[in-house]
Amino acid sequence: MDTFQLIPPALVLAAVGVPLLAALLVALLGARLAGLLAAAQLVVTTLLVVFTLGAVNVRGGERGPHREGLRGSAAMTFEPNFVPGDPTLANNEFAQTHGTTWGLLSLGPVPGPGVPAPEVQFFLGVDGLNVWLVALTSVMTLVAVLISLGRVRERPAAYFAWLFALQAAVTGAFLSFDIVLFYVFFELTLVPAFFLIGNWGPGRGRRDAAKLFFLYTLFGSLFTLVGLVGVVLANPTPLHPTPPPPTARDPKPTARPHYRAFTDPAGELRLPTEGPLTYSIPQLMRNASAWGNVRGYRARVAADRLAEADAGLAAANARLAAGPATPDLSLQAAAEKAQSLAAAEAATAIAEVTRGRRLQVWLFVLLVAGFAVKTPIVPFHTWLPTTYSEAPIAVTMLLAAVLSKLGTYGILRVVVPLVPDAATAYGLEVLGVLGAIGVVYGAFCAFGQRNLRLLAAYSSVSHLGLLVMALFSLNTEGLTGASLHMVNHGLATGAMFALLGFLEARHGTMDMSQYGGLIGRYPGFAFLFVLVCLANVGLPFLNNFVSEMLILAGLFDPSVVSPLGYGLAVAGASGIFLSAWYTFTMLRRVLFGPPIAPPLREGVTPAMALPEALGYLIPAALCVVLGLYPQPVLDSVKGDVAVVAQQADLARMRQGLPPSTRLHLPPESPTTDDAPPPGRGGPGAARW
Amino acid sequence: MKLLRDVHQEFLTGAYQYVLPETVLLGTACVLFVLAITVPRRAVAVGVGLLGVAGAAALAALVGVESLRGVLGWQELSLFWGTVEGTPYYPRALSPFDPTGPAAFVRWVALASAALFTLLAYAETRDDNACEYVACLLVAAAGTSLVGRANDLVTLFLSLEMLSIPTYVLLYLPVRSRDGQESAVKYFVLSILSSAVMLFGFSYLYGLTGTTNLGAIVDTLNDAHKSQVGPMALVAIVLVIAGLGFRLTLVPFHFYAPDVYEGGPTGVVAQLAFIPKVAGFIALARVLGMLYPPLDQLPFDASGTLIPMTLWVLAAVTMTFGNAFALLQTNLKRLLAYSGIAHAGYMLIGFVVASTLPDVVNGTVPSQVGLDSVLFYLVTYGLMTVGSFAVLVHLAGGEHPVETVDDLAGLAKTHPWAAGALAVCLFSLLGLPLSAGFAGKLLLFVGAFDAPTTGSLKTMARILAVVAVVNSAIGAVYYLRLVGVMTLRSPLKVAETSRGNVALVVALICAAATVAVGVYPKPLADAARAAIPLRDVGR
Repeated sequence: MDTFQLIPPALVLAAVGVPLLAALLVALLGARLAGLLAAAQLVVTTLLVVFTLGAVNVRGGERGPHREGLRGSAAMTFEPNFVPGDPTLANNEFAQTHGTTWGLLSLGPVPGPGVPAPEVQFFLGVDGLNVWLVALTSVMTLVAVLISLGRVRERPAAYFAWLFALQAAVTGAFLSFDIVLFYVFFELTLVPAFFLIGNWGPGRGRRDAAKLFFLYTLFGSLFTLVGLVGVVLANPTPLHPTPPPPTARDPKPTARPHYRAFTDPAGELRLPTEGPLTYSIPQLMRNASAWGNVRGYRARVAADRLAEADAGLAAANARLAAGPATPDLSLQAAAEKAQSLAAAEAATAIAEVTRGRRLQVWLFVLLVAGFAVKTPIVPFHTWLPTTYSEAPIAVTMLLAAVLSKLGTYGILRVVVPLVPDAATAYGLEVLGVLGAIGVVYGAFCAFGQRNLRLLAAYSSVSHLGLLVMALFSLNTEGLTGASLHMVNHGLATGAMFALLGFLEARHGTMDMSQYGGLIGRYPGFAFLFVLVCLANVGLPFLNNFVSEMLILAGLFDPSVVSPLGYGLAVAGASGIFLSAWYTFTMLRRVLFGPPIAPPLREGVTPAMALPEALGYLIPAALCVVLGLYPQPVLDSVKGDVAVVAQQADLARMRQGLPPSTRLHLPPESPTTDDAPPPGRGGPGAARW
Repeated sequence: MKLLRDVHQEFLTGAYQYVLPETVLLGTACVLFVLAITVPRRAVAVGVGLLGVAGAAALAALVGVESLRGVLGWQELSLFWGTVEGTPYYPRALSPFDPTGPAAFVRWVALASAALFTLLAYAETRDDNACEYVACLLVAAAGTSLVGRANDLVTLFLSLEMLSIPTYVLLYLPVRSRDGQESAVKYFVLSILSSAVMLFGFSYLYGLTGTTNLGAIVDTLNDAHKSQVGPMALVAIVLVIAGLGFRLTLVPFHFYAPDVYEGGPTGVVAQLAFIPKVAGFIALARVLGMLYPPLDQLPFDASGTLIPMTLWVLAAVTMTFGNAFALLQTNLKRLLAYSGIAHAGYMLIGFVVASTLPDVVNGTVPSQVGLDSVLFYLVTYGLMTVGSFAVLVHLAGGEHPVETVDDLAGLAKTHPWAAGALAVCLFSLLGLPLSAGFAGKLLLFVGAFDAPTTGSLKTMARILAVVAVVNSAIGAVYYLRLVGVMTLRSPLKVAETSRGNVALVVALICAAATVAVGVYPKPLADAARAAIPLRDVGR
C-alpha cells in the first residue's frame, strides 16, 4: 500500500479530528494551549488546500463542461477527493471511486435478498467548493482564539474547548458528502454556540439570546431534515429495467444503475426501475437529474407517439370517407384504440412530470427553511440582532464569518443540486428577490444603527443577500462569484467584528456616539479598520470587489435576457453603493472629528498585544491577498461550479428554457440508442 | 410423524426450557426475600442482585448466542423448531412461549436494565428495605423478559402482572410519606383496573377463537376477517389497547403518570418510566398480530385502515398532548412524566407503519416495517430517561432534594458531572445529532416517510412524521430550558449528594451509552432489525 496515498485522507479526518482533540486537550490542560492548537489546525487545513489544489487542477481539464450530462448515461456530479474509507485506497488502485465504505447506520428498506440495506455513511471528502471554506474556518477560529486570549477571564479553558468544538462541527459540515452526516454536523453547531453565547456573552440578555438562537435555528433545520428525508426517498438509484445476463461468476446478477430511459429495438419505451435508496450527495445529485430526464423523456416520447397516433387516426378516417361502399371498419377501430392508448400514456406521462415538479417545490421549501434561518435570508433574520449583540465578540465574529456560510453552502451543495427543477423555476424569483430585499433592507438598517456591532451585523446581512442572489443566478459566473464571496465575506466581515472587539475590550461599549477621532489615539487600529471597511465596501484590489463583480456579471447574464435578473443586479449594485454610504458615515464618526472615547476599562492596556495584533492582521492581509490574486480560488472551484451549473442547465432544458451558461450543449434530441450501463458509475456504483 | 397432540404436549411440558434465565432471576429474588430476614444489608442485597443478573445473563448467552451453541448442546431456537421438525405444524400456534423474533432482544434489554436499576437501588434504599427492593426489582425484570416471549393469553397476562405487582411494593417500600402513599395507591388502583379491562378483552378473544394461544388466535381471526371484522373482535382489541395503553401512558390513559411520578421514589419512577413501556409495546405488537405472518392481513382489520388510523390518532394525540403539557411543568418529575408520554407517542409511529399493509414486491417485503425502529427507540429512550432520573436520584440526598426546575440552577458549577450527564440525556431526548435520540427519531421518521404502502395511508404516515417533527421542536423548548437553567444560571443552593456516587455512575453509564449509540448506531440498529423477522408472504 502506498503510504503517500494515505496522507490526504488522513488530513481530511484530521481536519475534523484535530479540533475535537483540541477541545479535549484545552478542557483538560488549560487555555494556554489554545493558540498552538488553532495554529496546528491551520497547518492541517493548509496542507489539505495544497493537496486539493493539486488534485483539482490535475483533473481540471477533464471536468470542464462536456456533453456527458445530456448524451451519456449520467450527469456530472461532485467528485470528493481523498475520501477516508475509499475502497481503492486499500487495493492501491490509482483511480479513486470518490466514495466510501464506512457505514454508520443502515436505514431504509432492504432492496432484495442478499443486497445490503442502504446506509448512512461516514462520507467526508474535499473538493473545490468546500476546501476554501474549511480553510476559512481554520483561519477565523485562529483569529477568534487570538483575540480572546487574555480577554476571557471566566473559565477560559471551557470557553476555548467549546470554540474548538464549534470549529469541529462546522468543518465536519463543510466536509460531509453524506446528506445525513451533513445534517448531523449542521445541527451540532448549535450546542457549542448555545453554551458560548449563554455563558460568555457580555450582556444580561445572553441567556435569552442563546435560547432564541438555538430554538429558532433548530425549528428551521427540523424542516430541512424532513426535506432531506424527502429528497432521499424521492431519488432512489435508477436501475436498468433488465438485469444483465448471468455469467459464470455471477449466476444471479442484479440490475445495474442506469440513468435514463430508452427505447428498445422493438420500439418499446423502457424506463429505469427504482433501485435502492442512497444518502450520498453526489449519487443523489445524479439520481435527481436522471429521474427528471426520465420523466421528461417519457413525456416527449408520449407526445410524439400521440401525434403519430392522431395522424394515423386521421388517415384512417380519411380512407374511410373516401373508401369503397363496404368499408373495413377494423382498421379505423385499431387506429382509434391506438390513439386513445397514446392519449392515456401522454396524460400519465405529463401528470408524472407535474407530480415530480410539485414534489420538488415542496422539498425546496422544506430544505431552504433551515438554510434561510441559518444564513439568514431576510424575513428569517429576527434572531440575528439579539444574538449578534449578546454573544461574545469572537463568537459573533465566527457566527457572521463562518456559521452563516453553512446556510449558503447548504444551498449550493444540497438545495440546487438535489432539487434543481424547483431551484431553477423558483429560486431566483423567490429567494433571489428575498436576497435583494435583504441587500437594501440590511443596508438601511445598518445606516440606522447606533451600535457598532449591530451595524456590522446588518452590513453582513446586506452582503449575504447579494450572496443568495448569486447562488440562484445558477450560471458559471454567478456561482463562481458566490463561492469566492463566501470566503471573502467571511474574511472581511470577520475582520470587522474582530476589530470592533478591539474597542469593546478597551472601552466596554459599542455605542457609536461615544467614540470619535480614534485615528489619533489608535493609529494602527485605525489603519486596519479603514482597510477592512474598504474591503467590505468592495474597493478594487480588495477581495470583495472581485467576487461582487462576478456576482453582478452572473446576474446580468447576457445569454438569458431576463428583466428579473437585471432588476436584481440593480438592487445588488445599489446595495454595494449603500454599503459605501453607511460604512463611510460610520468611519467618519468613529475615526475622525474631535477625539472622544469612554474611559478605559480597569486593567486594560491600550496598546495592542502581539497575539491580538496577529488576530487583526491575518484576515486583513488575506483580504488584500485575495483582492490581488484570487486566481487559485477561482481555478479550483471551476470544475465543481460547472457541475452545479450543468445540473441547473439540465433542469432549465427540461422546463423548455434555454440554458444560461455558454456550455455549447448539443441541440436537444431524445436519445434512442441503448448505451451500455456505465462501467464506473460514481460513488454509489462502487458498492454494486 | 408426531401427532399434533404430542407436539402440543411437548411444548407445554418443555415450556420451562424457554424461560431459564427468568427462572434464575426469580430464584435470586427468593433468596433475597430470605436474606431480608437474616442479613438485611444494602451491599449484600445489591451484590446478590447483580450476581443473579449476571447468572441470568450467562444462561441467556448459553441458550441464545449462536457462537456458544456447543456448550449446552441445545439452544432455544433449535429446540423450538426441532420440536416440530418433520411435522406440518407451525410452532408459533402451539407453544406458550415464542423465543423467536424480539424475544431475545427484549430479554437482553430487561437484563441490562435490571443491572442498572439494581445499582440505582444502592442509592435509593436503606439497609432495612434493600433486600425486598432488589428482589421486587428482579421479579419485575423477569416479568418484562417473559412478556417478550409470551405467546399465550395466560402467559402474557401473568408476565404483565409479574411486572405490575412488584411495582406496587416498590412504590411503597422506600418512601413512607403521604405523597408516596398517595402515588402507590393511585398506581395500584388504576393498574388493577387496567389489568381487569385487558383481561376482559382477553376473555373475548378466547371466546371468539376457542384458544388462548396468540399465534392460533391471530391465525383464526385472520381467516375469519378476510372481508369483514366481527364486532366482538373490535370490542376485544379496544379493551386490550386500553389496558396496555395504561402501561404505555398513551393519552387518554395517561392521567396517573404525572401524579405517580411526582410522589413516587425517584429510582422506582425511573423504572416505571421505562420497563412498562417495553413490556406494553411488545405485548401490543404481539396481540395486534404484527409478529406473525401473513403480512397481507391484520387480525382485527379487514379494510387495512381501521387499526392504522386508530394508532395514528393515538400517536398524534399522545405526542402533542405530552409535549404541550410538559411545557407548563415546573416539577422535574412531572416534566419527565409528560416527556415520557410524548415519547410513547413517537414510538407509536412505528406501530402505525407496521400496521399499514405493505405492497408486496417479488414475494418479499421490506424488513423496515416500523417495529425495529420501535425496539431501537425503546433502548435509546430507556438510556436517556433512566439517565435523567439517575441524576435526580443522585441529587436527592439531603433534606431538600432537587425537585423543581429552579432547583437545577447552576448545577453545572456545583455538580459538573451530574450536570454533564443530565445535559447529554436532555439533548438526546431533544433529538440532537450524535445522541441516541437522534438516531432513534431518524429511524422512526424515515420509517414513517417510507411506509411500505401506497395510497392515502402513505400520505397519512407522512403527515404523522411532520406532526412528530413539529412536536420535536416543541419538545426542544422545555428540554433546552432545563439545560439553560443548569448551565447558564448561577446556583441558588447546593444540592446535597449524601447518597454517594452510585447513582451518578449509573447516570454516567447511561449518558456514555447514549453518546456511543448516537455516534455509531449501526450495531444496535442491526440487532433491532434482526429481532423483527423479515415477513415473507404466506408461511
